[in-house]
Amino acid sequence: MTDTDLHPLELALLRWLSGREQSSDTESIQGTGLDEGSYRRAAQWLLARGFAGTTLSESTYRVLPGPQGMDFLSKGNTPELALLDSVNNGVHSLQQIQEDVRFDKGQWGSAFGALVRERVLGGTPSEIQVVDRTGGVFREVWDGIYKSMRDGREIWLDCLDARLREFVLSRAPKRGKTGAEFIVEERTEATLAITDEGRKALSLAGERKTIGALTREILASEEWRNGTFRRYQVDIPPARIHAGRLHPYGCFLDRVRAKFTAMGFEEMTGPLAESEFWNNDALFMPQFHAARDIHDAYYLEEGASVEAPEPGVFERVARVHRDGGDTGGRGWEYDFSPEKTLSTVLRSQGTALSARALAANPNIPGKYFGIAKCFRYDQVDATHLPDFYQVEGIVLGSGINFRHLLGLLKLFAEEIAGAESYRYVPAYFPFTEPSVELHVKHSVLGWFEMGGAGLFREEVTKPLGVNVPVIAWGLGLDRMALLAMGLSDIRDLVTPDLARLRGMTVKPDGLLGRKV
Amino acid sequence: MPKIEASLSDLLRLALIDDPESLAERLEPLKAELDGMDGDTVKIELNDTNRPDLWTVEGVARGLRCWEHGAGRNLESMPGPTREILVHKGLEGVRPFIASFVGRGPALGEKGLAALVGAQEKLCATMGRERRTAAVGFYRLKGIEFPVHYRAVPPGTSFRALGTDREMTLEEVLANTEAGMKYAGLLKDFEAWPFLVDDRGTPLSFPPVLNSEGTGRVAPEDGDLFCEVTGTDLHTVQLLATILACDLEDRGASIEPVRVLYPGGNAVVTPVIHADTLTAGLGSITEITGLSIPGSDLPGLLGKMDYRRVTVDGGKVTAVMPPYRRDGIHPRDLVEDITIAYGLNRIEPLLPGDYTLGRASADSMLASSVKLLLVGAGCEEIIRPVLTSAQKITEQTLTPEKPVSILNPMTAEYSVVGNTVLPCLLEVESVSGHAAFPHRLFTVGEVLVRTPENRLQTRWDLGVATAGAGMDFGSAHSLLGLLAHGRGLELKLAACDDSRFIPGRCARVFLEGIDSGVVGEFHPQVLTAWGIPVPVSGFEVNLEALRG
Repeated sequence: MTDTDLHPLELALLRWLSGREQSSDTESIQGTGLDEGSYRRAAQWLLARGFAGTTLSESTYRVLPGPQGMDFLSKGNTPELALLDSVNNGVHSLQQIQEDVRFDKGQWGSAFGALVRERVLGGTPSEIQVVDRTGGVFREVWDGIYKSMRDGREIWLDCLDARLREFVLSRAPKRGKTGAEFIVEERTEATLAITDEGRKALSLAGERKTIGALTREILASEEWRNGTFRRYQVDIPPARIHAGRLHPYGCFLDRVRAKFTAMGFEEMTGPLAESEFWNNDALFMPQFHAARDIHDAYYLEEGASVEAPEPGVFERVARVHRDGGDTGGRGWEYDFSPEKTLSTVLRSQGTALSARALAANPNIPGKYFGIAKCFRYDQVDATHLPDFYQVEGIVLGSGINFRHLLGLLKLFAEEIAGAESYRYVPAYFPFTEPSVELHVKHSVLGWFEMGGAGLFREEVTKPLGVNVPVIAWGLGLDRMALLAMGLSDIRDLVTPDLARLRGMTVKPDGLLGRKV
Repeated sequence: MPKIEASLSDLLRLALIDDPESLAERLEPLKAELDGMDGDTVKIELNDTNRPDLWTVEGVARGLRCWEHGAGRNLESMPGPTREILVHKGLEGVRPFIASFVGRGPALGEKGLAALVGAQEKLCATMGRERRTAAVGFYRLKGIEFPVHYRAVPPGTSFRALGTDREMTLEEVLANTEAGMKYAGLLKDFEAWPFLVDDRGTPLSFPPVLNSEGTGRVAPEDGDLFCEVTGTDLHTVQLLATILACDLEDRGASIEPVRVLYPGGNAVVTPVIHADTLTAGLGSITEITGLSIPGSDLPGLLGKMDYRRVTVDGGKVTAVMPPYRRDGIHPRDLVEDITIAYGLNRIEPLLPGDYTLGRASADSMLASSVKLLLVGAGCEEIIRPVLTSAQKITEQTLTPEKPVSILNPMTAEYSVVGNTVLPCLLEVESVSGHAAFPHRLFTVGEVLVRTPENRLQTRWDLGVATAGAGMDFGSAHSLLGLLAHGRGLELKLAACDDSRFIPGRCARVFLEGIDSGVVGEFHPQVLTAWGIPVPVSGFEVNLEALRG
């Protein structure tokens, strides 16, 4: 690498080194005025690039008080000297001394052992005798080490005489420093010298100014023509930006919407709160039949009402429940309750939108879809949300039949799920006949039930004023949404945790449909 | 959807099937799903809520059998009735209807008895609405002296109920037995209760609660049985008796009918042989299915679905439904069964040929445009459920208007429908203190509000919140300004008082002169209630007002 650009830190240190034969770390830090961290980085870079070399590197050892030593300093005494004092003052058994609470019992015990080993004391624990009244090495340690520490002087291991050095080392463990009396700290002091390459780089740097950030001034003065651009380290991770963005689940639903509009469907919308009329009765679900249990609904507070259906439609729906009306069937044969039909529920199925669309003079031929928020009476858990989206729709036209319904489902399997394979399974829905379920084989999810469909019964279409065949279909999108977002718990689709949300990827282009 | 559990070997034997691996696929024409298999236990989910005949082992087996071997002959060889049940006065408002039959056959065996008990419980719980509309009782035939009497008796009447060791009054049975406590609610409003005794006065049962200990205890060795169904709905009572008679017949019993005499003189022979006849034009079959199925194929196809007496004549097909089915209420129902028998996966799919114009709704398009303006301003979109709690909307956020509440909530956490989207954003702030600040959040969501006439109205609202150091009134105001400018709308603020915001730092939002929402700096009381450690400002406007 012929690169001779210098970072400002390198430049500062190289300039300092060029003025002298060599310089120790301490001298260089003082001389350049750099803080220690910056100095060490600059030194490392220069050494790595061969612009400086090490001429000398030596270790020195400093003695510092450990936690126990700090404790002795604050108490003004070591257990050995305190024990010796007591014995000098007439106490003769270890047991008596251990009642002195200045030090722990154990410390008195080990101090006695140490004093005996060093021949300061003699005798037995119950009959202690003094051998050396001065305290021997223990006194020397206090006077030569602790007192200096107390006065804030630095103590270098090499400056101590051999006896004290040995004592300090014996009480400065390499591990388990939390209980140590002394800590010995190693410091490496290197001495650096500039190399020929370093001088070359320095002289080049003197000729050309190094440019960091490009500024308006540098551009205006054309100073950059005489400078070199400092090279940036480009392979580090980028700084994070928290940009504004759409919700991944919203993107998924938008993608679904785009798919259906591309297939020629017009979007329907409708209210969250529905009368039972639109939610169930218009769909020919008998009021007192077990079929109603499969759509257990949330009922809304007394007094809160929604608009009643227009009387003509109301009467035709009531009649088809009672006796089949003019549909050619016999109906459910019961007393249709005009009160129950007006109770207010939260929409339990997106098909309510289709019922409303049929009653609102739809286009014929026509295709409609709705992404409807629905409410199901279920415990909230990893697979159930209190409210969730269903995609539902209808296709109307004279000449529409069951084969078209199957064709549409095949299209959905390929376009929406990107299915590898699919099959049709007989199904039951109160409002369609014949009915069918679409099972698809997905490359990741395997076989799953993607949705249900059927031809609306005449008991649904005729009372709403529609006299052509109508295909009705509904798709569950939750599993595909979770897959698209890389999630496994449905509650995460609507997480309130912003950090989690920011961690989700958004790739709407890859969310749905046929593999290209 | 009803689910049943059955003995796999029993099911396969009755269905005449010897390859259990094919079961899942074979169940499809019955709209049934294999829900699990464990040893000899098989779980099946039945999706057709109008086919109670399929909610028993025998019913599923029958469906599978007919698919391979054609229509059966259930109840076609019954003799005339020789036994009677007399219905006495006093049951009119209580539990007026009864249907019954006798089955004579080989010993039930352990599996047969388990299946019978399973069928009884499943049908009483579902079709019988927890025994209210119908409840079933089985007895050993031996020792019952006909006619049997169905009476209304005082609660002080006593008998020895199944599983008890002494005689108790009916009142004591309700108070002291498990079944009594469970079903007491069905009788507590009446002064006289249903009671079934034979002609000698021997108690048979206390419908719909418990059989008697004695004839009411059926064992695996028993083969001759007496069955009755009582209830409040005549159709359900009769249909259940017919279904159970067919089930027992499929286990080898011969069914003998019982004549029921009602107080007014009406006599009904049960089990009723329902024979609903359905007729469909061959043209209408083609119209609905898109298929041209030769008329000569129809008897075979309908035989797979257990239809009887299929005739094709004069461009029409006529067929009689099996006696256990009453769900054919329109010619279309016949067409569906033909389609299923034909095989859905044999049909070639076809795309609708008509040209139609695809279009997103005006609301969706408006929401998309508004979202893009906010994303450009660095805002992050939030999506939260519509259901929430009064605690969050009223007590923590101090929203002045009360939300609409749910009469039958499952949990307090989801007991009201949101009437504002701001609590959703505050909830995000309450759990997102660890996400790098500042936060600029928005949500576009449906809310449910009341009109002055207390009509419920669904509205799309846009909520925006800014949170973090320095996120004061101005931070929300400027985003509002951006929207108004971006949509080309005149924005005016009118200072107001609102419990959610700091006094003097909130205003009503007027877009094109119309009051469209509120903007402000959230009150520390609100932030404290949510446990939010930083200042938050925000606004909520009616999305429609941004259309301009």
